[in-house]
Amino acid sequence: MKTLVLGLGNELLSDDAVGVLAARALKERLKDKADVVESALSGMALLDLFIGYERAIIIDAVKTGKNPPGTISELSPTDLSVVLAPSPHYAGLPELIATAQRLHLDFPKEIKIFAIEVEDPNTIGGKLSPAVAHAFRKIVQRVEEQITHWLAPSSRT
Amino acid sequence: MTREVVIDPITRLEGHGKIDIFLDEQGNVEKAFFQVPELRGFEKFAVGRPAEDMPQITSRICGVCPTAHHMASTKALDDLYKVEPPSAAKKIRELVYSTFFVEDHALHFFFLGGPDFVVGPTAPKAQRNILGVLSKVGLEIGREVIAVRKQLRDLISLAGGKVIHPVFGLPGGISKALTKEDQEKFIAGAERAVKFGLFSLQIFQDVVLKNKQYVETITSETYTHKTYYMGLVDDQNRVNFYDGQLRVVDPNGKEFLKFKAQDYLKHVAEHVEPWSYIKFCYLKDVGWKGFVDGPESGVYAVAPLARLNAAEGMATPKAQEAYKEFYKTLGGKPVHHTLANHWARLIELLYAAERMQELANDPEITSPNIRTIPTATPKEGIGVVEAPRGTLFHHYQTDEKGVITKANLIVATQNNAARIAMSVDKAARGVIKGGKIDDGILNLVEMAFRAYDPCHGCATHALPGQMPLIVRVYDSCRNLVREIRRD
Repeated sequence: MKTLVLGLGNELLSDDAVGVLAARALKERLKDKADVVESALSGMALLDLFIGYERAIIIDAVKTGKNPPGTISELSPTDLSVVLAPSPHYAGLPELIATAQRLHLDFPKEIKIFAIEVEDPNTIGGKLSPAVAHAFRKIVQRVEEQITHWLAPSSRT
Repeated sequence: MTREVVIDPITRLEGHGKIDIFLDEQGNVEKAFFQVPELRGFEKFAVGRPAEDMPQITSRICGVCPTAHHMASTKALDDLYKVEPPSAAKKIRELVYSTFFVEDHALHFFFLGGPDFVVGPTAPKAQRNILGVLSKVGLEIGREVIAVRKQLRDLISLAGGKVIHPVFGLPGGISKALTKEDQEKFIAGAERAVKFGLFSLQIFQDVVLKNKQYVETITSETYTHKTYYMGLVDDQNRVNFYDGQLRVVDPNGKEFLKFKAQDYLKHVAEHVEPWSYIKFCYLKDVGWKGFVDGPESGVYAVAPLARLNAAEGMATPKAQEAYKEFYKTLGGKPVHHTLANHWARLIELLYAAERMQELANDPEITSPNIRTIPTATPKEGIGVVEAPRGTLFHHYQTDEKGVITKANLIVATQNNAARIAMSVDKAARGVIKGGKIDDGILNLVEMAFRAYDPCHGCATHALPGQMPLIVRVYDSCRNLVREIRRD
């Protein structure tokens, strides 16, 4: 069962770095359990990173303004806009999955998204804001738990 | 009554921006503004860091074109240490850079810009995306686009260290020579890239140029501006992405300026507007006359169409043929039609692929002589490359230990900013009449800037699905009278 953990973000841009930093922290911990990849890309450009995996976890920053910074939401791709909205940044994933299906690519059947509500994703050289830094430890733990759950014999199909 | 229409965020753009459209009482466009988000703090962030870290740091500014920043920065370090890389090192840099160009231009044409033309400018929104493109061109081609890009990105990783943030550029050369085995892989990749370039141009011929309505749109006054054009050229005035001098032609296509990167501040100045974060570049030699075109206005353009206009030809045979066909079809040089950028981009893709092939087959490409060790005391360095989206300048000043005291970057979209703003305004005036605004009409406005493939470098990666496109209409007192959510 090949598993991908993908941390997205720009590590120079304060809170936007959280996904990438989480992936970096998980790399050693998940050795032999999953491939951990960091990426600053988004949308369709990510497509080939998923090819060949059966399960994937995406860790990313989200700014909805609806939840306090540091809130972690667990989403599935169907929770994102189901409409094929055309922005590579804001609606890239549903489009990407639809494209992979149309082209019959070897694509993960299960994708879980851990989204961390951020405060400031725009300042170069900024550090994680306190609430996001606090959530950082939690996100690492949650991803690890998810991988353990996937690898547990009972979850195998 | 003034009504305000806001398109926010712009769809299918790399990075995000906003268009504000103000309507007059008749429902025609009074003025349209193009805005980009602010990138804060880069200069401050760079100060105090060792200059040799800059190729790694600047490549992290943006997930879209890390290789362009890496290369411009590495060349700025060559200049900072007054060191000339060995010939093999320059060739390997250009090989990697050409590979990057092919995959980046392919991404734009098929995924971002392509839907406008392959599917159709006013086709239903649900079809105007990559899936619509696939339906039109066939699944086999879709699989080939994805497979070629993957192969090319793997090649960049092979030579550049990491595809997301390359690590191979050093002042005076590169960190790793190519083996014979690497060379074979590049040769195979280049061969496939050339084929890919040829069939991409064929698709453009068949789907776009054979459609009379599309050609009329491309050549219409709504999408036309007669400005200056800038691009890097080699010693025979042919397009070059990696090195050379900057050549500027006037709106009649005559050479106006030719200068080295080190002289950019003598010729390029920045204009500030209260309504935008971006600084608008213009030619000092002409002066800022506002958002107007013509020979009296210092507004200039960069990126594919501008590069073709600013040069006298392409340095590879198949691309040169396509270049001649381009000007023959569009009525001679220079071409002022913004939407012709899509065609120009594919000609450049083919050039990059052919250049890749030339360099991959060059016996010197596996030479172990890849570094000249710098010995000079650093003070100031300026580097330039053509990024896929246009001319990119990196400029650093340091103390005698090579620690940055000042950094200035001019990115492609800044060079293009004034003309993009003009294009959006003109397109809005051209297509919005009598208050009639629908999805297809708004897309016709967005197409005006999408042709430039603008990138704001600072795009955050906030997760998809939460930021729909919003169109807002206000009355003259700025009361919200209508809101359309395009999600």
